[in-house]
Amino acid sequence: MRILFAMLSAGLASFLMISTPVLANKGLEIATEVIKRDQGWGDTSSKMTMILKDKYGQSTQRSLRNKSLEGSTEGDKSLVIFDTPGDVRGTAFLSHTKKTGSDDQWLYLPALKRVKRIASSNKAGPFMGSEFSFEDIASQEIEKYAYKYLSEEKYNGVDCFVVEYDPVDRKSGYSIQKTWIDQSKYIILKTEYYDRKKSLLKTLTFDSYKKYEDKFWRADTFRMINHQTGKETELQYENWVFGTGLSEKDFNKSMLKKIK
Amino acid sequence: MNIIYWLLVSICMMLSQSAVADGNLNTKLIADFRLYPNSNAGTIDSGQSLELNIDAYKDFGATRAVLELVARFDDQDSGRRILDARQAYISSEIGAFEIYVGNRQEFWGKAESKNIVDVVNQQDGAADQGGAGKLGAPSLSVERYTEYGDLQVWYMPEFRELTFNDSNAHPSGQLLIKPARYQRSEGSNADDLAFRFSSVVDEWDLAGSLFYGTARNPILSVVDVGTALEPYYPKQQSLGLEAQYTGDATLLKWESLHGQQDEKSLFAAVAGLEYTLYGLLDQVWDLGMLAEAQHDERPQAAAKRIYVAGLRLTLNDSKDTSLLLLTSQDEDWDQSLISFEASRRINSWSSIELGAKFFDAQTPASAFGALDDDDTISIKLNTFF
Repeated sequence: MRILFAMLSAGLASFLMISTPVLANKGLEIATEVIKRDQGWGDTSSKMTMILKDKYGQSTQRSLRNKSLEGSTEGDKSLVIFDTPGDVRGTAFLSHTKKTGSDDQWLYLPALKRVKRIASSNKAGPFMGSEFSFEDIASQEIEKYAYKYLSEEKYNGVDCFVVEYDPVDRKSGYSIQKTWIDQSKYIILKTEYYDRKKSLLKTLTFDSYKKYEDKFWRADTFRMINHQTGKETELQYENWVFGTGLSEKDFNKSMLKKIK
Repeated sequence: MNIIYWLLVSICMMLSQSAVADGNLNTKLIADFRLYPNSNAGTIDSGQSLELNIDAYKDFGATRAVLELVARFDDQDSGRRILDARQAYISSEIGAFEIYVGNRQEFWGKAESKNIVDVVNQQDGAADQGGAGKLGAPSLSVERYTEYGDLQVWYMPEFRELTFNDSNAHPSGQLLIKPARYQRSEGSNADDLAFRFSSVVDEWDLAGSLFYGTARNPILSVVDVGTALEPYYPKQQSLGLEAQYTGDATLLKWESLHGQQDEKSLFAAVAGLEYTLYGLLDQVWDLGMLAEAQHDERPQAAAKRIYVAGLRLTLNDSKDTSLLLLTSQDEDWDQSLISFEASRRINSWSSIELGAKFFDAQTPASAFGALDDDDTISIKLNTFF
């Protein structure tokens, strides 16, 4: 869900931690600036439509709601609630991101009223049968990658930095991610994902960025194309709301059973 | 008490009418077809039921009214027919506390094959729906969330009896069910109390609970010269312990119950291991392997020790196809159960589930021996509105 803030978000502490000694790395500087410019978003909610297309162009849809809370000492917290299709209605996915190590994740199964802790090592696995994997939708903390500045390039007429993100976690499904970052706004316009064999696996593009609260950029459309299967997933966001008054309590696993 | 709860149900129903206007109403229709390939003479060899689930809620500031109704019609088995408010409660935040009044459905436990610490609700046993088939628990409950963990206190003034299938339906021992007996003199009006504290410590999800009340599971005795079953509900005072360790791909699970039942000491435990292989065969498929050992000294248990092994295949496709194969075996290699479940979405408003269960036992008088003619093959069509 939140590749959304992918790169766009992260806690203040993480920035302070890395901003001291290691600045010789231009890739890290750029990635840090991306996160720094998005700091202070606090909490958000949004609605999302996920459109899955197979290689024959047939499509199916899901609708979800997202709630997120910016982390301070720890990583961000996020909650995804499924509205359609009918058989997963009311199911909820809660994630407490960790800056290092595995995230804590719980799933709420409404028919059983059961909250289940799930293993989060399946980063490379698909989220809801889509082309987005769990690691793509997880909140992106600066500590999760090593960075390498590659070049300057124009993308869609916009001057971009191209930065390589190398996942630190061995369980990542990617060898590297190549990211195109708008030089003036410090927002990500495109990411290429390379599999463990270093072949191009997927390309994610962001469209229709809008500015909220006079500071935070959010894209309306995320389009992930899987080059190896020909499948595609589009995420369409709407109703972004900032400062909705969510607190830590709303991201407590026991609150999952209250979700409607 | 009954009048008060049905009054609450009526209030919730009225409130939920406005939930329709707010779009806070969801409906599910389940058409269930069952075949009993091994049925004895004099019992039904097939059955079908239609179940309607209505789920509505309405918020009034910090107060919420919730209604979840289940209405099931079965063509042959009156035991499966039911109209129940699985949930019909009003909840409110008062200070740091959440207070609930009315029927609720709650889940406690960590294991997959059996949840011995899950004491709040009675099972809708006749529905044969596993953990989803519960009867609403009339209750007053208070919950408090703290940074150290979550506390629940439950007061349950009315006991609900386990539901049974008709004697010519399945599963059943082909015996009539006599009126229940209770150890506690107040019978079904005896009050039950329960507490639970649950917490997350890094990779560990932990919980401890206390229960004082009437056991949910009756002890069944064959009476009237072998023609009837008499359920007996003993008193239970117990401590429940739960733990789950969540590793990279490994889950370790523990549930245990310690205390007294029917004035005798009570001990039961379930220990489990689950390991998942992600990205099987270079596909996006996941294969979960689970093993659980059940130890249960209560007379209600089918056997003192049962070992369960299972495979869960998740295809992670756009139709969310999944398959689950489970085998249960008692320690004497006498009784066994093989079950299979598969589910797949058809489209955005419907899904299909297939199920099969095969019981086997060397000793006809054993628990599974009595279920020998209850092998079941089922197809369920779910429609969502």
